[in-house]
Amino acid sequence: MTGPAAAPNHGAGAPPLLDVEQIHTFIGEFHILQGVSVQVPRGSITVLLGRNGAGKTTTLRSIMGLNPPRAGQIRFAGQSIHRLRPHQIAQRGIGYVPEKRIIFRDLTVGQNLQIAERQKGDLARKADLIFGLFPDLHRLYDLPGGHLSGGQQQMLAIARALVPDNALLLIDEPSEGLAPVLIEQMMDAIRRLSAHTTVLLVEQNFQVASRLAEHYVIIEEGATVRAGRMADLVSDKQLIKTYLGVA
Amino acid sequence: MIERAVYRRVERIENPTGRKLAAGLVRLVLENWFYALFFVLLWRFPYLVADLTDSEVMPQRPTGGSVFWQSVMAQTLLIACLAMSYNVLFGFGGIISFGHALFFGIGGYTTFILMREYEPGARWPVLAGFAALVVVIGALARIPWRRLALAALVGAALLYLLLPGSGGVSVYQGFGVAVLLSVALSLLSGAVTLRLRGVYFAMFTLALAEVFWVLAKSGTLRALTGAEDGLPFRDLIPDALNPTPTAGGNRLAMYRVTVIFFALVFLAIRRYINSPVGRVIVAVRDNEQRARAIGYNAFHYKLLTMVFAGVLATLSGLLFVLWGSAKRVDPTLLSLNYTVEPLLLTLIGGVGTLTGPVVAALGLELGRTYLREETFTFSTRLFGLLSLWQALWVAGFALFFYVFRRGLRRGVARALGAGRDPGSRAVTLAAGAGAAAALIVVALVAQAIYAETDLDTYVYKVADLWQLFQGMLFVLVVMLLPHGIVGTWNRWWFNRRLRRMARQAAARAAGAETAEPSGGHEA
Amino acid sequence: MPGYFARLTPRYRRSWALVAAYLAFLVLISLIDFGGNTAGQTLFRGLMLSMLIFLVASGLSLIFGLLDVLNFAQGAFVLVGAYIGYATYQSVELSSTYSFLAAVGAAVVSVGLLGAVIETGLIRPLYARPVFQIVLTFGLGAILLDLVQRIYGPQPKQPLAPPELFRGTFYLFGQSLSIYRLFIIGLGLVIMVAVGLLLNRTRLGIIIRAGVQDAEMVQALGINVRRVFTFVFVLGAVLAGLAGIVLVPYQGATLDLGNQFLILAIVVVVIGGMGSYEGTAVASFIVGLTRAVAEQMSLKHFDAPVLAETSILILMIVVLLVQPSGLFGREES
Repeated sequence: MTGPAAAPNHGAGAPPLLDVEQIHTFIGEFHILQGVSVQVPRGSITVLLGRNGAGKTTTLRSIMGLNPPRAGQIRFAGQSIHRLRPHQIAQRGIGYVPEKRIIFRDLTVGQNLQIAERQKGDLARKADLIFGLFPDLHRLYDLPGGHLSGGQQQMLAIARALVPDNALLLIDEPSEGLAPVLIEQMMDAIRRLSAHTTVLLVEQNFQVASRLAEHYVIIEEGATVRAGRMADLVSDKQLIKTYLGVA
Repeated sequence: MIERAVYRRVERIENPTGRKLAAGLVRLVLENWFYALFFVLLWRFPYLVADLTDSEVMPQRPTGGSVFWQSVMAQTLLIACLAMSYNVLFGFGGIISFGHALFFGIGGYTTFILMREYEPGARWPVLAGFAALVVVIGALARIPWRRLALAALVGAALLYLLLPGSGGVSVYQGFGVAVLLSVALSLLSGAVTLRLRGVYFAMFTLALAEVFWVLAKSGTLRALTGAEDGLPFRDLIPDALNPTPTAGGNRLAMYRVTVIFFALVFLAIRRYINSPVGRVIVAVRDNEQRARAIGYNAFHYKLLTMVFAGVLATLSGLLFVLWGSAKRVDPTLLSLNYTVEPLLLTLIGGVGTLTGPVVAALGLELGRTYLREETFTFSTRLFGLLSLWQALWVAGFALFFYVFRRGLRRGVARALGAGRDPGSRAVTLAAGAGAAAALIVVALVAQAIYAETDLDTYVYKVADLWQLFQGMLFVLVVMLLPHGIVGTWNRWWFNRRLRRMARQAAARAAGAETAEPSGGHEA
Repeated sequence: MPGYFARLTPRYRRSWALVAAYLAFLVLISLIDFGGNTAGQTLFRGLMLSMLIFLVASGLSLIFGLLDVLNFAQGAFVLVGAYIGYATYQSVELSSTYSFLAAVGAAVVSVGLLGAVIETGLIRPLYARPVFQIVLTFGLGAILLDLVQRIYGPQPKQPLAPPELFRGTFYLFGQSLSIYRLFIIGLGLVIMVAVGLLLNRTRLGIIIRAGVQDAEMVQALGINVRRVFTFVFVLGAVLAGLAGIVLVPYQGATLDLGNQFLILAIVVVVIGGMGSYEGTAVASFIVGLTRAVAEQMSLKHFDAPVLAETSILILMIVVLLVQPSGLFGREES
C-alpha cells in the first residue's frame, strides 16, 4: 500500500541512483517498515520526512544493511544491494552518517578520517574538499574525537563519509541538537557537498529540509505515503499539516 | 474438547454466585490438574519404587531400591528447586549470576558454625555488625531511609529473637539466621553491581562466591569450617531432621517434607512471577529503560528478585545438606559446580519457563544416577545400531555438513526453488549433534590411548563421561535449542494455536461472505 | 607519551596517582615486613606473575571490548597451550632451546586454530544473543578441560627444565634471581609494547579501537568487521596459549591452571576497566604484585596461602565499590 500518490517516478526518465522498492523490515518481532519505497535521483538532495517513529532512521539502516529488510528490493546504481552485508554495501559507494553523530571518541580526528579510507591515499586526495568544507577539522586534526563539541562531531561524521569516493550519502538528522548558527553552517556544507555526491537526508526540522532538498518522501507508520518535488510540497500547506503536523 | 464442554455447562448455571464459584473452581482444576497429578505421583513415588524393585518403603535395615531412590529423588527435587530459583534470576529477571552456589552453600555453614560456636555474649556484637551492614547496603543502594529503617528494625528484631540470650542456638534458629544472612548477601552484591552492566554483575558474583569457597576450603580456618573435610553435623541435628535410616532417622518423613518444600517453592515462584511485582520484573528484563520511564525503580525490583532467589536457594541448600550421606557441610557446596548445574538445567529446560528447570533436573539428574554404573566398550553397539568406530565416521560426515552448512542450505533452497531455506534448523541440529558425538568419540579414544590399553577392550563408565557430556550439553543447547525443552514446546504449541485461530477466522470470513445475502433477511 | 599524560582527563589522572601510590605501598610494606632480600625475590616473582596474567587478561579484555563476548574459555586456552607445549617440549628431540621454540610454536598454532574454529563456528552465529555467548564459552571451557584431562591424564605434570639459554641465575642488588623468570618478564613486556603499538600505530589497530566503541559503525564504513573479530579472538587465544607454554618450565602443567588464570584475568579486567588496554596493563601489575606479596605475607604469618587467594578478590570488590567501571574504563550506567 503506497497510499494515495503511489510514489511517482520523479527522476524524469533517468533511472534513480537508489531505488528502494517496498521493503519490509523487522526489528526483533516488530514489523517496523511495512512497505517503504524511496527513489533518489542522481545528483540531488532528497529528504525523508515523517513524524517521530515513522521509520525514517530504520529506512536508512535498512539501506545500509544494518537492519536488513526481509522483503522488498533495493537497487543501487542499477544493481541489487539487499542481502549484501553492510561493509559490502558501503564499498559499493554509499556513505552513512548515523544519527547522534557516532564518531570514534578514542581516536583522533585524523584517525577518524583515516579509518574511512577505502584505498590508500583517499584522505590525501580528498583533503582539499574536506578541509575546505570544514576548516575546523584541520585545526583539530590531532585531538581525540571525544574532545570535540557537538557541532564539530557532526562535521567530523559527515567529513568521514566524504573520504572515500561515495556516490551517495545517507545523512541522519544532521541538525539535531545543534544551535541555529551551527545549523546554518551545516546546511551550507551539505549544499556544497551535494555538488559532488547525491544525498539522502533524514530531517525533522522542516525549515531545514525544505530549504535543502529538491525531492521529498514522506513516511508514515512504516510506509511511504507520498513523494514528489519539494517545491510542490512547500506550496501545499494542507498536505504539510496532514502529514507533518507543522503549520 | 472436555474443557469447552465443562465451561459451557458452567455458563448455564442460573445462580450468579454459584456460577462464579463454579467457574473459579473449574479454572483451578483445569489449570492445575497436571501439577496436582505430578504431586501425587511424587508423594507415592517411594511406594511405586518399592513395588517395582520388590523392596520396603521403610525397612529395618536401610537398604533396597525404595530407600535408595527416595534419597535420589529428594536430592533431585532440591536441585530442581535450586534451578528454579536460578531461573527466577536468569529467566525472569534477566540477571546472570555466576555466584548462585554461594547462596546454596551458605546456609549449612551458617547454621552449623553458629550451633557449634555461638555464645550468648555474641548476641550484641552480631546485632551491631548487622546494623553496620544495613547502613552500608542502604548507602550503596540509595534506599529511602524510612524503608531502610523499617527493614533494619525488622531484621534486628528477627535476629534478636533468633539469637538466644542464654544457651546455644537450635537448628531452627540457625536456619533463620542463615536465611537472614542470605538476604543480606543478596542485598550487598545487588547493591554493589546491579546498576552496572550485566557482565560486571556476573563477574562480581563469581568472585564473591570464589572468596567464600576459598575461605571454606582454607586450612587456616580449619577450626571453624573443617577445611576440605567439611563440618560434621551428625550430632547437631535432631533425629527428625535426619533422613539417614541408620540412626532412628525417618527417611520417609524427610522425603515428604522435601516434596512439600518442592511444591511450595514451585507455587511461590509461580505466584511471584504472576504478581504485579513479577510482571514489573519481566518488564524490566525486556526493556529496562522503558520500565524506568514508566516510573518503576528497576533497581529495587531487581534487588527484590535477587533476595527472593537467594532465599529459595539457601533453603534448598539447607535441605540438601541434611540429605547428604556424610552428614558434613563441605566446600563443594560453595563451588562453581552448584552454579553451573542450575544454569545448565535452566538452559536445557527453557529460560524463563516455570516447569523447564524441573523437567531438566528430573531428566538429567535421575538419568545420571540411573546410568552412573553403566559401562560400555568400543565393541558394544550404541543403541544396538553402530559400533563406536562407525559412529566416528557418521560424526565425521556430520561435522563436514556442519562446516559447510551454509552452502548446503543454499543449494537445497535453490533446488527447491523456495525463497526461504527449508529444514535449515534440522540440518544444523543433526550436524551439531554429530559434531558432539565426534567429540565424545575422540575423547574416548584419547582416554583409552592414555590408559595404554587396547581400544576394543577398554571399559568406559558413564559416570566418567559426565563432565564432558555436561559441557557438550551447554554448547548444544545454546547453539541448537536456545529456548530449551519447555520453551520450544511452548512456542510450538502457541504457534499451532495461532495457526488454528487464523484458519478458523479465515473459514468464518469465507462463511460470512456466502451467508451475507440471506443474513440480511433474517435481521 | 608526554602528549598522552597531558591529555588525560582528571579521572584518569587520579587513577594513575592511585595506582602509583598503591604500588609504592606494596613495595614499602614488603620491604618492612620481609626485609630487603625476600622483598626483592617476592617483587620479582610478582612481576613475572603480572606478565603471565597480562598475557591472559589482555586477550580477555580485547575480546570483550571488541566482540562483547566475556570469554570464559580463556582459561582453557591457557590450559591447552600448557599441555600441548608440555607434550611437544618433552617429545621433540632437539637441543633444549630448539625444542622449547618448537613447543611455543605448537602451543601457539594449535590454540590459535582452536580459537579460529570456535569464533567462526560457534560464537559468530550467536552475536545477536550475548548472554548465550557467556554460557557457550563456559561450556567450551568445561569441554576443553575434560579433553585435556582425558588426553594427558589427571596427574599434574612436573616442571620441565627451562631451555639452556635461560637456565641459571643472575645477581642484581646482591640477590640471585632466576634467568627464566627474567625471560618471562621480558617476553611479557615485549608483547605488551607490541600489542600497544599494534593498537595505536597500525590501521588494523585503529579499526580495533574504533570497533571497541561501535563495531556497527565501523562496518558501515566499508570494513569487514567479522574478519577483525576473528583476528582479535585468535590473537587473544594465542596470547593465552603463550602464557600456558611459558608456564611449563616454571611450574609445570596442572588441570586447575585454567580456572586459576581465568579468575586472575577477570579480576584484572574488572580493575583495569573493560576494554581498556592501558587499564589491563596497569591492573596486571597491581594484581600480580598484590598476589605475590599477599602470598609471601600469609606464608610468613599464617603458614598457609589463604590471603593470596582472597586478597585479589577483595581488591576487586573494593575497586568495584569505589570506581565501578574500573580504573581506566568508561563511565557507565
